Amino acid sequence: MGTNGCVLIKIENMIQLTNLTKSFSSKTGKGFKKETVTVNAVNAVSFECKPGRIFSLLGPNGAGKTTTLRMIAGIINPTSGSAIVDGVDVSKGNNEVKKRIGFLTGSTGLYERLNPDETLDFFGNIYQLEKDSYQQRKAYLFEKLGINEFRKKRIGQMSTGMKQKVSIARTLIHDPEVLIFDEPTSGLDVITADSIIDLIRESKADHKTVIFSSHIMSEVDLLCDDLAIINKGSIIYNDSFANFKNDMKADNLTQEFINRVKEA
Amino acid sequence: MRELMIVIKKELTELLRDRKTIINSIVLPTLLIPLLMFGGIKVTQMIQKSNEEKTITIGMVNAPEDFLKMVKHDTLNRVINYSESIDCKALIDEGTIQTALVFPSDWTSRMDSLAPNEIQVYRNGTKDNVNGRVSNILESYNTTLKEQRIARLRIPIEKMTPFTENYVEVGEQKELIGKRVGGFIPYIFILTMWGGCLLAAIDLVTGEKERKTIETTLSLPISKFSVLLGKAIVASLLGFMPALLNLTGLIVGLQIIADIPDTFKTALNEMLNFQSISMILLLLIPFSMFLAGFIISLVAGATTFKEAQSKASPLIIAIIIPLVMALVPGIEFTWSTVFIPVLNIGLGVKEIMAGTINMGMYVAMLLSLIAFAVTAIYFSYKKFSDENAILK
Repeated sequence: MGTNGCVLIKIENMIQLTNLTKSFSSKTGKGFKKETVTVNAVNAVSFECKPGRIFSLLGPNGAGKTTTLRMIAGIINPTSGSAIVDGVDVSKGNNEVKKRIGFLTGSTGLYERLNPDETLDFFGNIYQLEKDSYQQRKAYLFEKLGINEFRKKRIGQMSTGMKQKVSIARTLIHDPEVLIFDEPTSGLDVITADSIIDLIRESKADHKTVIFSSHIMSEVDLLCDDLAIINKGSIIYNDSFANFKNDMKADNLTQEFINRVKEA
Repeated sequence: MRELMIVIKKELTELLRDRKTIINSIVLPTLLIPLLMFGGIKVTQMIQKSNEEKTITIGMVNAPEDFLKMVKHDTLNRVINYSESIDCKALIDEGTIQTALVFPSDWTSRMDSLAPNEIQVYRNGTKDNVNGRVSNILESYNTTLKEQRIARLRIPIEKMTPFTENYVEVGEQKELIGKRVGGFIPYIFILTMWGGCLLAAIDLVTGEKERKTIETTLSLPISKFSVLLGKAIVASLLGFMPALLNLTGLIVGLQIIADIPDTFKTALNEMLNFQSISMILLLLIPFSMFLAGFIISLVAGATTFKEAQSKASPLIIAIIIPLVMALVPGIEFTWSTVFIPVLNIGLGVKEIMAGTINMGMYVAMLLSLIAFAVTAIYFSYKKFSDENAILK
């Protein structure tokens, strides 16, 4: 039984990426001498994420992390390969699968002219949540994240921390099976960051599948079950976090991560 | 449909909380026509009054006494008498006088012998007020002298009037004013529509990119087409609203602004009836969708508000040229102009206002605008679905 009392059906792999590749074409040059250049942002990436486990996708800036996460969330389509979420190929444009995903990255901003209440109402409507359970869920998240005191304030007038709290609430409002968090504690004070870490742990306990990406290695250490490192569009490491720690040659996680990227 | 309504509600809420949108799409269009009407009338009256009260200085050479008396009767006319040797042009150039009338030195004897005379009038063609007043004085003096001569010759005055003209107007006042004023009305509301659509479309597409919410929107379990259509509908609504408010402003302005000439007021009131307004608004629905789709496809690739504005703003020329063409005499609402967007609205509204619209052509114009709207939405969807453009 999960914490919300639901009977859970165990699925082996909630997310299955197979040779996922994304190329972007751009034109360079001037006038009539323009040439089309194709760059592989993500190159044959494969990994699996299991329910009840937290999967960390780490990589330096520009490694292809965001592109991979966007493909999993169905925001962009892969050039080749597949991203299967809960048995459904996301690239086939099935919006039903998007209802099972909560997606939060640095690029998923909030609608600045709405307040937290209106924002959550909008997401609740889009996810077609049943009125009572939606109200309960909203009250729970507002309480947990301390949003009640500014629930009527326009998002454009809020601090970064307040915005991030609302972003977390809107990501979790539909209680998704898959959660994708990219830098979820960025810009937050330690108390709020702690409550978010707590929410991620709760999600794990509820048998959710969590992809978690962060540059804060202490958080990775605290939460991570499985780990993949991506560099220049390719996966250079993919195993359990326990094995990663066992194989460590450096003194700390940060140094080990740097060494792995440099060696690749 | 449900998800489309949610998108529309959210986009509309967001836009109507933006001060720029409120001013551009609601406040300005509502006040524009009444202000133009009121301002136009007041400025004309002020200019007229100031001209009427302005003193003009007239230089005279050899002017007869009766003429001088007539001129001085109006206290706003100042007269300076000169000898024949003066340089009238130099005096006008230096501003000593505004005009000069040079009578022949033998004026009295030629008048007595009923001979024809000539008065040299020195004037600056750009000074309409001065020239108009002098022309009126001369015309009046000419009439007086003519009557004196006729009396001297003992001829009954009616024998010197071979005919008089009596004009009977067969064209309706509504048609005449409709064809003249009808061309200017779309000029105003199409420009405000363009402004409303442009701001809304940029805010809804490029603005979302700038505020980093486009990715949030695309992660939602709704189709890209619903998102795009929702945005296009809201942008077109924000384009349609100014036109509606322009028309409302025109109708209200006609009722509340004093000093509008009665014939003009009656004719405009008559042509702005339920049928003509409905016909105009019906045309503007697909037209605003066309504008919204067109602008979205242009700005979808822009990353900043400024870039989007610089991409879309030059296209105002594509709107203004057909609108100006619709005002050019000789360009009519025909089967060849009925399919040219903007021009067809400019010409069509003129015909609707004049009450001379051909219904077959009206339907063809409406259908062509719907086809243009569908095409524009299709292209905007293509552009909106382009990952390279939208997630740039």
